[in-house]
Amino acid sequence: MSQQRLALWNTEEDLEEDVDLLAIGNYGQTVYDDAHIPQPQIDESTLLAMQQHMAQQAAFAQIPDVVKSFIVHFHQAVLDNNLAEITVAYESGWNKYTEKYYARTEWPEAELIAPLVNDDPIFLILYRELYYRHVYSRLQPNIDDRFHSYENSCELFNYLLNSDGPVQLELPEQWLWDIIDEFIYQYQVFCTWRSKPNSKNQEELMMLAEGGPVWSSYSVLNVLYSLMQKSKINEYITAQREGKSPEEIAEIVGEYGQRPLYRMLGYFSIIGLLRVHVHLGDFTLALKIMDNVELNQKSPFTRVTACHVATYYYVGFCYIMLRRYPDAIRTFVTILNFIMRMRQYHTRSYQYDQINKTADRMYALFAICHALSPSRLDDNIANIAKERYGEQYTKMSRGGSDALAAYEELFLYACPKFITANPPPYDDPEYTNNLLASADDESNAPASQPDSSQRHLELFLADVAAQLPVPTLRSFLKLYTSLGAAKIANFLDQDEEELVQEMMVLKQSSRSISRLPGTEGNSLLDGQTITTSDLNFVIDDNMVHIAESTVGRRYAGWFIKNTERAQKILDDIKNMPLPAPPKTSTDAAPAVEAPAPSRKPGRGGQKVAWAKV
Amino acid sequence: MTSEWISPSSRPKPIEDLVSGVDRYNPSNVGILEDYLYHQIRSEEYDCLANLAILKLYQFNPDLYNPDVVINILLKALTSSPSPDFNLCISLLDERPANTQLDEPDPIPSVLPLLKTLHNLLYRCRFPAFWSTYRSEEFESLRDNYTVEVAGFENAVRAVAVRAVRATFTRISSERLSSYLNLEGNELKAYIQSLEWTIDNSTGVISVPPNPDNQIEATIVQESIKLPQLTKILAHSLVKS
Repeated sequence: MSQQRLALWNTEEDLEEDVDLLAIGNYGQTVYDDAHIPQPQIDESTLLAMQQHMAQQAAFAQIPDVVKSFIVHFHQAVLDNNLAEITVAYESGWNKYTEKYYARTEWPEAELIAPLVNDDPIFLILYRELYYRHVYSRLQPNIDDRFHSYENSCELFNYLLNSDGPVQLELPEQWLWDIIDEFIYQYQVFCTWRSKPNSKNQEELMMLAEGGPVWSSYSVLNVLYSLMQKSKINEYITAQREGKSPEEIAEIVGEYGQRPLYRMLGYFSIIGLLRVHVHLGDFTLALKIMDNVELNQKSPFTRVTACHVATYYYVGFCYIMLRRYPDAIRTFVTILNFIMRMRQYHTRSYQYDQINKTADRMYALFAICHALSPSRLDDNIANIAKERYGEQYTKMSRGGSDALAAYEELFLYACPKFITANPPPYDDPEYTNNLLASADDESNAPASQPDSSQRHLELFLADVAAQLPVPTLRSFLKLYTSLGAAKIANFLDQDEEELVQEMMVLKQSSRSISRLPGTEGNSLLDGQTITTSDLNFVIDDNMVHIAESTVGRRYAGWFIKNTERAQKILDDIKNMPLPAPPKTSTDAAPAVEAPAPSRKPGRGGQKVAWAKV
Repeated sequence: MTSEWISPSSRPKPIEDLVSGVDRYNPSNVGILEDYLYHQIRSEEYDCLANLAILKLYQFNPDLYNPDVVINILLKALTSSPSPDFNLCISLLDERPANTQLDEPDPIPSVLPLLKTLHNLLYRCRFPAFWSTYRSEEFESLRDNYTVEVAGFENAVRAVAVRAVRATFTRISSERLSSYLNLEGNELKAYIQSLEWTIDNSTGVISVPPNPDNQIEATIVQESIKLPQLTKILAHSLVKS
């Protein structure tokens, strides 16, 4: 008996390897360490099946009971379209159990929990969506994860777009945004990963060669455009702006666009496309896609904070690449003020860290714009930016030779990830063979695809370099009302003709295309040439004439703010219960208190702090 | 101001539909857009967004890639300085592996640095240096193979210089303007006339007509308070009374 048992152990070890390999072929992460249970000797395939079954059972048994009931509960909430319950499960439950049980490992596989949810295919797709997102954010996704997360996304979008008519499913807006956002994120990291051929092994190279449409730019754009078209989102926005009645709108947008799920996915796809186009380096198309979206705080996309922040970040960055620094500054100021105000309310949101990181990058971008096009739009934000990036800001605004390094540092820190639309030629056998052959010999390894960020950085720095003499010239001209060009050239130790040409650059850099106030409904690409500098000059043959416009001190904002504050304090005081009345004045108190309740809902006091978010 | 850039009045309707719709991703439309580019090349028109749509198709479909088209697009974009068009085009040129299946060697790697040099000189208003570089031996193949085909290329460069001069000068000497435009004698005179600028024949100084950019005035900007800023305060007093 003991001998037999020994033999069984041995065969089992072999078998276990088989199982493992199989598992890698499928999903690639399960290690069944509890499967060492002696079994009667039977033929191999049955044994294998049993083994797998038992391993699954063992793994299933390992899932903590609270997690099981969480999943059951979650499933029920989705079945009932109970948005409140789904939101709780999605925003707090999932994160809570991730911290507790799955901080460093995967959640149980969908197949494993399938019995808990009656094999509900839709819930399993949603579950996998969360499962892979967790793998991407906490662990290292392997090539199978990358491929399968793509397949799962496709299944989800197929279900939404190609079922018979609109699906009845409802999900919280936050989740819908996260689905789009994560889809693009996974596409972006896949492209980045794919562009480095040297780290790939043979199996990975084979899968990449045969990968076809997996995470191809066309498939990603296809999904986003399909969602936009299905939901008729652009028609919806236009109809709303024209003030059409709900019935008319319903007719225009059709059966899909009427459902909140599709409408929000449509909205988020527009923002998603904005982001994809930026990743691909197409800054005009990125802004053009936003033609119908009004960039203000009332737009529906602002209801999901992460989406709100991302939108402004990408729009602002596009403006930088279009050399429209005043527009970029205005965009960043708006959102940074918003983030600052909401900070006290959102510290515990699970996306707080992410939002903070984006904000930090926007302060860096703001510092860049501010150095290139000094303005006094918002001292508060400017001061924070100078506090955080003081050293770089000083160098950048001084111009000269140190500045470029500071620009480069901040640009690389704050720019979005850029990707190359196409993979290295993995489907060319010769190329992959070379790759494999050179794996041992590092000297002739083929280079990775050059990082696209470098190309954009180079373009940006060339622009900046042209403007480096500007700060010096500007500060010099400030001292005069008129003087000869030869004299300036002499002061700066420069050739006169060179100097005159630099003056043209100075002129050029104090003009910019910018959106005008009152044109908020127009395309983000619209704009007029404006003056961005207080310092103006003109050259009359060889004589430079200088004029400076000064801004008178601004009192109004300060007085308005403080009047409003004073009114609020006054209201608050009036609405407070009176202190225990001193004995002498008992009959005076009710008279004062009586009108107070009617004042409370007054339009003044309550709205003051928040009305103009 | 930008509307002419976003959608030039010379842009035909079919191109407009293509550029603003999803059909811009359809590889089979590349021919239409390329024909439109060559139309721009011949007739001194310019449509940045339509040309970017070509580069977008190249970005996604490397097999469509046609280096001559790319160079022509860049030459058109070059003369729209100081607009960022040139950079926007370069942004879409993904790095491509050296071994693309072309019959001839790809001219882009050798031409691109030349174009970048020219762009840099134009963007930095180094017009005399631009002309001497452009006329140099190193740039001969660019001139003979490409810019010669672009109708009005040199005049388009002059237009860049004229834009800069118009914003910066009220009066400018003929020698200086001559070095910016690479024109002399009667040619220069004719050009100045076509701009409707006037030349003082005794001194040779040219007057640039007033425009919003070459008029300067020291001003003090006073703040103006708009009614909406005061609504809250006014509303509050209303409740009280």
